[in-house]
Amino acid sequence: MAESRRIKHRKTVSYAKWAYIFIIPFFVSYILFTLVPQLLTIYNSFFENYMNGLQQIGPNFVGLGNYKALLSPGQSGTIDILKYFGNTMALWILGAVPQFLIALMLAVIFTSARLNIKGQGLAKAIIYMPNLIMASAFSMLIFALFSKVGPINKYLVASGIIEQSFDFLTVKVSVRSLIALLNFLMWFGNTTIVLMAGIMGIDQSLFESAEIDGSNSIQVFFDITLPLLMPILSYALITSLIGGIQMFDVPQVLTNGRGTPNLTSTTVIMMLNNFLSGSKNYGRAGAVSVLLFIITGILSTIVYRMLAKQYKD
Amino acid sequence: MTIANSSRSRKAKAQLFILRVLAYLFIGILVAMCLFFFVMLLLMSSKSNSQLQGAFSLKWGGHFLENLHNAWNDASTNIPRGMVNSFIVAMSSALITTYFSALTAYGIHVYEFRFKRAIFTFIMAIMMIPAQVSAVGFIQLAYKFGLTNKLWLLILPGMAAPVVFFYMKQYLESVLPLEMVEAARIDGSSEFRIFNEVVLPIMKPAVAVQMIFSFVSSWNNYFMPSLLLTKPEKRTVPIMIAMLRSADYSKFDMGKVFMFILLAILPVMLVYAVLSKSIIKGVTSGSVKG
Amino acid sequence: MKKLLSALLTVPMVLALAGCQGEKPAEEPVEEGGEGKVFHIYAWNEEFKGFFEKYYTVPEGVEVVWTIVPSDNGQYQDALDLALLNQDSASADDKIDMFLAESDYIVKYTNTDYTQDIKQLGVTNFSNTYPYTVEAASDANGVVKGVSFQCCPAGMLYRKSIAEAVLGTSDPEEIQAMVSDWDKFDEVAAKMKDAGYLMTASFAETFRVFSNNTESAWVDADNNLVIDPAIQTWMDQAEKFIENGYTLTSGVWDAETTAEMGKDGKAFCYFGPAWYYNFCMGPAFGEDAVKEGTDTVGDWALIAGPQAYFWGGTWLLAATGSDNPTMLADVMDTFINNEEVVTALIANEAQFTNNKKVNQKFADDPDFGNPYLDGQNDTAVFNAMADNITFRNHTIYDQLCNEGLQDKFSEYLKGEVDKETAMANFYTFLNEKYPAVHTPE
Repeated sequence: MAESRRIKHRKTVSYAKWAYIFIIPFFVSYILFTLVPQLLTIYNSFFENYMNGLQQIGPNFVGLGNYKALLSPGQSGTIDILKYFGNTMALWILGAVPQFLIALMLAVIFTSARLNIKGQGLAKAIIYMPNLIMASAFSMLIFALFSKVGPINKYLVASGIIEQSFDFLTVKVSVRSLIALLNFLMWFGNTTIVLMAGIMGIDQSLFESAEIDGSNSIQVFFDITLPLLMPILSYALITSLIGGIQMFDVPQVLTNGRGTPNLTSTTVIMMLNNFLSGSKNYGRAGAVSVLLFIITGILSTIVYRMLAKQYKD
Repeated sequence: MTIANSSRSRKAKAQLFILRVLAYLFIGILVAMCLFFFVMLLLMSSKSNSQLQGAFSLKWGGHFLENLHNAWNDASTNIPRGMVNSFIVAMSSALITTYFSALTAYGIHVYEFRFKRAIFTFIMAIMMIPAQVSAVGFIQLAYKFGLTNKLWLLILPGMAAPVVFFYMKQYLESVLPLEMVEAARIDGSSEFRIFNEVVLPIMKPAVAVQMIFSFVSSWNNYFMPSLLLTKPEKRTVPIMIAMLRSADYSKFDMGKVFMFILLAILPVMLVYAVLSKSIIKGVTSGSVKG
Repeated sequence: MKKLLSALLTVPMVLALAGCQGEKPAEEPVEEGGEGKVFHIYAWNEEFKGFFEKYYTVPEGVEVVWTIVPSDNGQYQDALDLALLNQDSASADDKIDMFLAESDYIVKYTNTDYTQDIKQLGVTNFSNTYPYTVEAASDANGVVKGVSFQCCPAGMLYRKSIAEAVLGTSDPEEIQAMVSDWDKFDEVAAKMKDAGYLMTASFAETFRVFSNNTESAWVDADNNLVIDPAIQTWMDQAEKFIENGYTLTSGVWDAETTAEMGKDGKAFCYFGPAWYYNFCMGPAFGEDAVKEGTDTVGDWALIAGPQAYFWGGTWLLAATGSDNPTMLADVMDTFINNEEVVTALIANEAQFTNNKKVNQKFADDPDFGNPYLDGQNDTAVFNAMADNITFRNHTIYDQLCNEGLQDKFSEYLKGEVDKETAMANFYTFLNEKYPAVHTPE
């Protein structure tokens, strides 16, 4: 009795300090390695600061100059960063739509007691495998397979499907499709596993009672599975969106940094990389980062709200 | 009545059979797609440069060992060194990320304290900030303090990983009964021991999942390392692959390049194989509820 | 590839020049007075490393460390810049002693304090070097910061079998007369096309000829980008060549272009200096190709072509802060003045060196010839061009201007964008890479 009172006492008085002790490493690391650089990035974005050859230019305070330069129309009359952002989103959506649709289907199939799929373990391991390859290596493989003198072209010509080898890497549709294909292959297994976890977390009795009510599989999916999966689906979508906005490796390696054709596969991070490498243009790169942050915040909130609303309905 | 019933059940059975066939076909196609690239990679890593440039054939090239030798001994990239560097970075950050994320999640989940809600919301908010926002400032600071070519600089930031924290938090919510912590306290364990010896073992599946996820993303990370690691002896595998691909004509050997990619995957496969059982189990039992 | 190529060359030449091959030259002992233990060299490929390891005897107790970073996307310069900027704080052994630079960006380094006066280090004998190589390695005040071990006059290489088939002769003098200016060059191109051949295998094959003959630099004194009339002429030519089917849309380094060098290749000519066929003609001269019988060894001849130019060349620059000044000077001196080494570079490596006296000796030797070119004395061809080269109109921005224009313009030639868009994309590229350069509005 006295023992338990002592514990109670200790809990109310001193346990809170453990919470702080346990979360301190996270925050120290966050502040040192993330927050300080983030603030510095924002600070940088108001300065002209780059290397011209081996000569340091700046830092000179330019106010919103970097933002103005980024948001005013460039040589071709379009605002480059918006174009790149459009590319990035197009590339993400092209890959994410099949990724989520197929992952959803797979998750339902794998978890279905009725279908009772055999050999699941192996299948799940294999579809997760592409996620293990580094994006740049995977892009290289695709590049080699689809290059103008590569095996796919040789096969297509030899079998008479096309007359002349087709340059997959110079046509907007095919470059974008290749990038989307790569992203899809790399991530659908991962999403499947995450969504399966969500479905398996749903109370089984709900499915059973639906079956007794005579609902068919499609009704069960839309009435029970999907609404109850919303939290995890929104988590997966938002993390995919954040990853998509930061897309870099695949288009960079596949197009050798050129974003061909006509800069239609250049992503925002590729632009950032162009500013950073060589001229170390911290001012302009900082402004790109800040704009990216604002856009990500807005988009994530929209997606979250949309999904949350649907979930509540 | 019975006839109608049995015909209906026969119809249902036939339907189920068709559904099953379709499901297996669907899975089969996707599995084949994933395997195709691995088989291609294996095949291409067995070919010499001129075989790769010549007519495409599905025959085994027979230069596997030669390519292995060439890639492993490539003078300007030094694969063994790159593998070691990558492994140090990926393994350390996987361990650090998962441990501290679990610790933070535990701290916020188990204890009642004043800023609990605020801190949780804050972490969720910073999850939205793209990594590149801090990258520019991070690189500038690294250069300023002469911290380029330091591997630990790629490892320590892993202590604060909001996405991993989020996952751990959700996991704890579904698996950790608070009574268990209470019971451990009655046994007189200190709070640290409770976390390390009671909670961590329960979280093993979740830790395994996040370990493989963070190992893979760290192993495959190119952007930050390519800007920070400039010395040859510090380079990681992704940087070397980028180098080989842009090698000048006199050294360009596609067979070697494919062999390098194959080699780069092996350690990840190994880690995956070791942790994969826990992964499927972990994600499954770590179901995130509402 | 380089090794196989040089091995391939070595066999016949060693027989002819057995005397030069036997011993390793340059056995001069270097004074150890306070010199560092590590000689650190930055380079973007292994070309010079091969020569250095073969022909330079490193002083006892000194370890040579190579940092090799590929030059793609400016990676080499990024790494080099970073190292140079931190040269002061680097430990003695980490300090760069010598680094290699190409003509496209040598100005970026010679005009700074990161390179030092080599005359003060003891490299003073420039009597046999070509003036343009010294000019290129000098800063605005004429202080010399390095040397080149090559001289890179470039010419036109053509397939003799194709010449015979289409033009009825493969004699260098007659062919030279047929392509002595660009109008005649076009006429030959039309004949090639009619006979089912290509004139060149890349739209950018002749780019360097034009870009080397500009009246103005890429960027003027006010930092404005200038598209020189010569560049404009090249763009017009590339357009015409693609339209008429005289050439391909692939870049000079693309597999599609080099594949045309092989036995079944359709391309009549390629443009380049001595290092070009040494390192860049794998499908024509490589070991793989020879083994499979798809090579074209001996089917080539070298002529001056429509317009004189030089392309590339590798300079060795002395880094400020080097702790091995004696060895640094010795390396530089060896590769321009040590006649044994220079002779070996021509005889064994098919280089055209930066030593007039030795070049002349080979040019005059009636028995000397290049097996790739069926025994033609290429040194004599280069020798005739070398004295006229000048180094002018270079800026720190040349590399990406040259590469960027070719990349972006090729998209127009492939029909992906219109010409204005291609140019706008080129300007966009420069704006991102070179914030200081003003592009046309």
